[in-house]
Parts: sequence; C-alpha cells; structure tokens
Amino acid sequence: MRFQCLNMVYLLYMLTTNINPRYKKWLIALFVLLLAGGAAIWWIFTEKFTDTAAVKADHTVNAMDFIKEFKTDLALANKKYTEKIIVVNGTVSEIKYADTTANIIMADTASGAYVIFAFQQQHLAAAKALKVGETVSIKGSCSGGTYSEILETQSISFKRCAVNK
Amino acid sequence: MKSTILSLALILATGLAFAQKKTTTSAIVSFDATTSLDQLPKAENKTVIAALDPKSGNIAFEVNIKNFAFSNPRIQEHFNNAGWMHSDKYPTAVFKGSIINLSSIKFTKDGTYPAEVNGDMTIHGVTQAVKTTGSITVKGKEITANAEFSIKLSDYAVDGSAVGAGKVSKEPKITVTAVF
Repeated sequence: MRFQCLNMVYLLYMLTTNINPRYKKWLIALFVLLLAGGAAIWWIFTEKFTDTAAVKADHTVNAMDFIKEFKTDLALANKKYTEKIIVVNGTVSEIKYADTTANIIMADTASGAYVIFAFQQQHLAAAKALKVGETVSIKGSCSGGTYSEILETQSISFKRCAVNK
Repeated sequence: MKSTILSLALILATGLAFAQKKTTTSAIVSFDATTSLDQLPKAENKTVIAALDPKSGNIAFEVNIKNFAFSNPRIQEHFNNAGWMHSDKYPTAVFKGSIINLSSIKFTKDGTYPAEVNGDMTIHGVTQAVKTTGSITVKGKEITANAEFSIKLSDYAVDGSAVGAGKVSKEPKITVTAVF
C-alpha cells in the first residue's frame, strides 16, 4: 500500500513536471480532493456494523417494565427506544429455533406481549446455550414495537444482539 | 366400551389439534435487491410473525420493517428512510392469503408438497394481490412453509433515487421460511 502511494505521488510529479506552476498547484489540489472523495466513498460502502457487545448501551431496562412501556404508549416508547442500543435484563421464556438460527423471547405471560432478540452470528452459540427460565442480560439494537393482529398482542423486536456478560 | 370412548376422544383431540391455527414469532424473510452497481441492498429479518391454519389453508405474515438487519449501516438507514420503505410511517409489511391447492397437502403425512398461494400483500402502505408458488414440508409435528418470489417495487410506490439510479434492483427477490 505504501509502495502504491509513493508510486502515485511519483506519477503525479512526472505528469505535472512540464506544467505551468500556476496550474500545477490546482491540479495537485484536485487530485488530492479526488483521492479523499474516493477514500470516503470506499469507507462508507465497506463499513460494517460493529460487534454489539462492544457498543455502549443507550438504556438498560428490565424486560417486564420495558414491555409495560410499549403497552402503555406505543408511539412514545418507539420514539424513546427505536434504533437505540438497549440492554434488557429478564428471564428467558422461550427459545425459538429456525433454520440455523435461534431467537430468545422474554414474554409477559399475562398479556402475551413479548420481546424477541435475533443475534449477531458471533453471538449465536451463546444464545443457543441459554435455557428457558434462565435470568439473562441481552444487548441489542431495538427495532421498536408493533401490534400483531395475528397474535393480538405487542411484539418488540431486536436485531444484532449479544448475550451481555 | 371404555376403549372405544377413549379412541373417539383421541381422534377428536387430534382433529382439534390440526384445526388449530399454528403460529410462530421467528419466521425468516430475506430480500436481495443487489445490482451490478451495488452489492449491499440485501437483508434478513428473523423475527417475522406468521400463522398457518392447516384446516382452512389461511396463511399470514407480519414483518417489522425496522428489524431487517443489513451488514452496512448506511444502507440500513437508506432502506428505512422516506426515500425507500419509510418505516416510521409504514412500520410493517403484511401478507394475508390462503393455500388454494389445500386438498393436495397432507398435513398428517410426512413429505414436501407444492403450495399455490393467493393473497394480498401490503408494503409501504400499498396493497396488491399476489399469487405465488411455494412448498409445505411436513415432518412429524413440524410444518415448514417456504416461498421464493419477486416483487416490483413500483407496484408498492417504492421509487427512491437509489432505485432510479440502478443501485437497488427494481424487482428484488424475496425468500420466506416459516417453521410452525
């Protein structure tokens, strides 16, 4: 990479050797600008979500209180929590296996309302090792709550989760 | 006499069990809207709510749009904003339909059966009639529904600049898997 950069600088020098010095500095500035723009675009399109385990949480909540907030005022809770990193502490009600993945559910048994966590690939093994009834802390990106006409209850979804140790 | 009553009760109970609507909170819906210009617009949602009634053939899906997980933060942001799915305004996508060749699917016998499905799909606040072919796999007590189809984004008024610029496929491929 360093060699390539040196090569480009040399090429730029050679190309601008016989150019009027007045235009030369503008050409160099344009070249640097194009290089910076290219680097920015490359960075944007190759950027990946970082490991949720390493991201600082915006809120830490208890699962049942969290569900209650969504049941009380769905719009307000969505505004407060959606697209935020949340740590949810609670008890595993159910583990749903589908395909090669597993989702963890913390449910309010009285109303059927629940929080469901889908995990990042690197944290899937830790999620699969959890047991129903186990007290756990899960960190993830909250996708907000919706009312399910199928289940006739509130569902709050999380993506990119990690078992919080 | 006792055994006859017991057998009848068992048959009745089995019948009721199959008459019940089966649901899951963990169906998977993925889409692939990649083009030669952009390989990033593809994502998966693993927390889709689905229901299947083996008796009537009714089948339904509810998708929380914001729970599509992308690898790239910028594309996820674009996907949810007003230029594409506008998920603040239209938080869910819904399919409600029925299996029209229900008589050829034996929910009591292991096997994979082709399933023709008709229904209404609502995405981005627009409802369109859809017809697709999928499969139903019965293995013991487990029923798996699979489908793969394409939709036209223009049918659902999804016409952001990225679609026009050819960075997002105008007909993304949708894959659905639900284990009941």
